[in-house]
Amino acid sequence: MNFVIRRIAFYLVAFLVAATINFALPRLMPGNPIDVMFAQQNSTLTPEARDALVATFGFASGPLHLQFLDYMKSVFTGDLGYSIRFYPQKVNQVLAYALPWTLLLAGTATLLAFCVGSVIGTFAAWRRGGMLDAVVTPVSLALQATPAVVIALTALFIFGVALKWLPTGYAFAPALDPAWSWEFFGSVALHGLMPICSLMVVFVGGYLVTMRNNMIGQLGEDHVTMGLAKGLSDRRVQLNYAARNALLPSVTSLGLTLGAILGGSLVTEVVFNYPGLGQTLYIGIVTRDYPLIQGQLLIMTFATLLANLAVDLLYVFLDPRLRKA
Amino acid sequence: MFETLKVFLRNKKALIGLIIVLLYVAVAVFGPMLLNLDPMQRVGRPHQPPNPDELLGTTRMGRDVFAQLIYGTRTSLAVGFFAGIIIVLIGTVLGIAAGYFGGWIDEIISFFTNVVLVIPQLPLLLVIAAFMGQTNPAVIAIIIGMTSWAWGARVTRSQTLTLRNREYILASELIGERPTRMIFVELLPNLLSIIGFNFIGSVTYTIITQATLEFLGLGNPMSVSWGTMLYHAQNASAISVGAWWEVLVPAVAVAGIGVGLSLLNFGVDEISNPRLRTLGTVAAAIKAQKKIDQQRLAEVKP
Repeated sequence: MNFVIRRIAFYLVAFLVAATINFALPRLMPGNPIDVMFAQQNSTLTPEARDALVATFGFASGPLHLQFLDYMKSVFTGDLGYSIRFYPQKVNQVLAYALPWTLLLAGTATLLAFCVGSVIGTFAAWRRGGMLDAVVTPVSLALQATPAVVIALTALFIFGVALKWLPTGYAFAPALDPAWSWEFFGSVALHGLMPICSLMVVFVGGYLVTMRNNMIGQLGEDHVTMGLAKGLSDRRVQLNYAARNALLPSVTSLGLTLGAILGGSLVTEVVFNYPGLGQTLYIGIVTRDYPLIQGQLLIMTFATLLANLAVDLLYVFLDPRLRKA
Repeated sequence: MFETLKVFLRNKKALIGLIIVLLYVAVAVFGPMLLNLDPMQRVGRPHQPPNPDELLGTTRMGRDVFAQLIYGTRTSLAVGFFAGIIIVLIGTVLGIAAGYFGGWIDEIISFFTNVVLVIPQLPLLLVIAAFMGQTNPAVIAIIIGMTSWAWGARVTRSQTLTLRNREYILASELIGERPTRMIFVELLPNLLSIIGFNFIGSVTYTIITQATLEFLGLGNPMSVSWGTMLYHAQNASAISVGAWWEVLVPAVAVAGIGVGLSLLNFGVDEISNPRLRTLGTVAAAIKAQKKIDQQRLAEVKP
């Protein structure tokens, strides 16, 4: 329990750091932070809208430490201010609409990549130098080094444009209304297939190589030799003796790669015109909607930290030594 | 030195990786000199498919994709190496300081390293780059360098910690060597493989991240790099109008250097940890053993 509490305290600090960066950045830029933020919108923004924005941010007045406290208060009450592009919507409304799509995309892709990568990695290590290992390991190395943009664009071109097998944009057919129907879910699945698969392909290689290398380390350990000497079946030694231990570092890397996966999903969404955080953010970047861009850092940090906490809990479950402490 | 090189070149992955990387470096260094064509110049009609005049076709602006590729290679590699150096410098200094001095210095450095590690990189970079405005490649390199050192610092620290407990370090301490000598003469040479590993990984990461940032529209659209090529292609809806060359060329370029660098890194990994090797030696040993067995069988039979 102690372990979990310490982790939560750590994540809280990490979140504070991200929020502080958000607070500090506009103030570090030369000139008035408001002018920096609204530089591009000044011509299109009505004076009332500008005043409303200034009032919401509340950083125009008062000494710096009071501004900071105000900012933190609004962040922790979940108020991220108004979006400039989608005014009068608030940033958290805009992000709340987009977040589920990103979670669907990144979550499914992570789960698939982790499971597929770990399973294949286990078998590749078991028959090291065999057919599977010789083919799969170099391929996953290559995939690991290929950016998400490249894989997404290639998939879009082959399956979306050249073969016309899969839809090239949106989360579901535009004619449909969101509803609890098979037709709607079918459409969501069909539209999600290409983004999810291309995101999975980007990350499967990393998990595969990690798992393979851990497995090889484990297979040289005494307890594995002992298991084999006792006459246990190969499968049992492979899975219960080696793979279970080899999985621990993989789970750690799962926590650390979540940030990268969210980043990858940002790009994938832009390519596939998928209505998640990435697509929203892209609009935010193009229109220089600073509150929106800042809001996504907070919400993505929050999501990553939450997922890391889940990984920590999983770790307690997988590693009995932590349960006692 | 020569021996190390020989071991290195015997590893097939490392050799292929090295060849790919050297090819890219050659293009980056000499390409623009040999080409003698401004990549921003309009050379023909928009979206011309590859032909003898424009080897890789033209963009929607009518610019030569081949010229853009050559100049883009130079920018992208320069950014990669520049940021790689920053990352390695910060990571190594912090890692050694934390691992060697220990105590509260270690506590503080490790804490910040871990905090930076869990904050998602790309969203953070997006926020910083967005406030910087139209970021030039050099600025992108600096931003990436300043935010991506955490992994290297962590690995360097743990390696320093293992070295710190070796007997030769204790012996040097007992002789009364000064900390500077300890770090530069005793520790640093033994950390070189980790530092090299960190550098290659960081260059790969930077090149990919730069392409991503610029693709998302946070670069300077007037600079020529693989990322801005992808950005312009996306803006011109090159894929939907069938101008695949405008997308494919920078995409293959990024993927190629990524594969080259990671093969190089994996090769280095295999050399320092022989158990990770896939084929080659193991298969060769098994084959040789079988041959010997058969020979013996043949000798015994008659």
